[in-house]
Amino acid sequence: MSSSHRVTIVDIGLSNTWSVLNAFQYLGAGTEVTSDVKSVLSADVIVLPGVGSYRQAMERLQESRLGEAITTGSRDNGRKILGICLGMQLLARSGTEDGVTAGLGIIQADVAPFTNSEVMGGKIPHVGFNSVRPTGGSLLFDGLPQDPDFYFVHSFRMMPEGLAGAASLCNYGIDFAAAYEHENIFATQFHPEKSQANGLQLLKNFLEA
Amino acid sequence: MLKKRLVFTLLFSNGSFMLSRNFRLQRIGDLEWLQRNYVFSNISEAIDELVILNVSRNEPQMDQFLSMLKELTRTCFIPIAAGGWVRDTNQAQQLLRSGADKVVLNTPIFWESGLVEQLAGQFGRQCIVASVDLARSETVGFEVRVDSGQRALPGGARERLNWLQEKPIGDLYLNSIDRDGTGQGYDLEVLDLLPQDLGVPVILAGGAGNAKHFEAGLRDDRVDAVATAHLLNFVGDGLHKARENLITRGIQLPVRDSDIRDLRATPQ
Repeated sequence: MSSSHRVTIVDIGLSNTWSVLNAFQYLGAGTEVTSDVKSVLSADVIVLPGVGSYRQAMERLQESRLGEAITTGSRDNGRKILGICLGMQLLARSGTEDGVTAGLGIIQADVAPFTNSEVMGGKIPHVGFNSVRPTGGSLLFDGLPQDPDFYFVHSFRMMPEGLAGAASLCNYGIDFAAAYEHENIFATQFHPEKSQANGLQLLKNFLEA
Repeated sequence: MLKKRLVFTLLFSNGSFMLSRNFRLQRIGDLEWLQRNYVFSNISEAIDELVILNVSRNEPQMDQFLSMLKELTRTCFIPIAAGGWVRDTNQAQQLLRSGADKVVLNTPIFWESGLVEQLAGQFGRQCIVASVDLARSETVGFEVRVDSGQRALPGGARERLNWLQEKPIGDLYLNSIDRDGTGQGYDLEVLDLLPQDLGVPVILAGGAGNAKHFEAGLRDDRVDAVATAHLLNFVGDGLHKARENLITRGIQLPVRDSDIRDLRATPQ
C-alpha cells in the first residue's frame, strides 16, 4: 500500500470523522481532517462523509464555501472524491428533506426518501448490513466477494434512473444506488468504514483507482 | 436483503472488563487482557456490532471509559454502541466523539424527561439503543428492572414495552437477568412480551453459551440480532467458530472473504 496518498477528510461539523480517519490510517494513507477551504482546494483526494440533515449540511457547505472548494477540486480540477452516506447525497443535484434543497450537482441524480410502500414491510430508516450488486467493471468493488455486504443507515437514497456513471445497486424493497463511480467521482450510500474487511477493501480500491 | 447480526457486549467498570452473572459482576481483566485474549481487529471480524457498556456501580469514571472506548474502536470497523451513565445530551455526544455510532440508554429510557426525544432530535432515532433488563416475577410474569437491575418498575413488562413502542428509538436490546451469564441459552419467552407490530430491530441478550443458543435466537422471526456478554465462553476464536457454524447452517449473517489484518498497512 502506497503511503503517498494524502486523504483530505472534509469536516462540516455534523458527522463523526473519527472512524473514517481511522480506516484510512489503517490502510496507511496520509490523512487530514479539515474545515479549511484552502486545504480542500489543494487536496489530492477528497473524502466527504456525512450523517444528518441534507438542508443543514448544504447550508454549512455554502456558508463555509467548502462546497465551492469541493466542486472546484473534483469537477474542475479532476481531484478524486469519495462521498459517504449523506456525503454521497450531497454530491447530487438535489435533496428533498424539508422541501427541495440544491446539492453540489457533481452527480446528475436526485435524492428522495424511501416510502413505506416501497420498502414492503421493511423498517425506515434502512439500518444494517445489506448486500450490494456491483456494476460490471467496478473499480470500487474489485476483488470483493459476490454481492458483498455493507453497513447502511439512511432514510433517503439516490435514485438510480438515468445516472451517467455506473451505479451499484442495493435492494430494500426497491433498487437504489448503493454506490456510484464515474471517472474521478466516487460515492457510497453505505459506510465502508463500518463494513469490516469489505469496507476496508473498497476504501483501498478507491485510493488505488 | 437485510442480514441478521451477531453482537458482542463488553462490560467495563473501573478500568476492568467484567463478567456478569445475574447482574453480579466479577472482574476479569483490563484492556491489555482483552487485546491479548481476543485481538480486537480479529474479534470484530467475527461480529457485526460491538456494544460497550459502562457498568460501574458507584460513579461513572467517564474519562477512563472514554479513553478505553477510543483505544478500542481505533481498529474496529463495525458499528459500535456505547452507554451506561448517560443522563444528558452532552454525555451522549462524548460517547459519539469517542468512537460510538449509537448510544445505549437503560434507566433513562423510562424517564418522562424527554431525554430520548432530545437525543433522537439531535442525532436521529437510529442512534438510540433502548436497553431493557427483564426479570421473571411471581406476580406479573415479567418485570422491567432499572438501575443496574436493582429496582423493579411497577406493572408488567408487556405494558412497559408497549409504552416504549412510541419512543423514537433505533434498536431494542432485551436482556434476561435470570439467564444473564448462565450459559443456559436465551429466554425466548421474553419475545412474547413484544408488541405485535414493533417497528424496531430486536437484539436478544442474556444466557448464550454456545453457537446453538445463537441459532435458536436468530431462527426466531422476531429477533434481528443476538448478543453475548460472556467474556469466557467465546475466548480466543470462539466467536469465529460460532459465526462460521451459523453461516454454514443457513443463518443470514453478513459474509466477508478477507481478513482485515491483511489490509493493515503497518502491522504493529
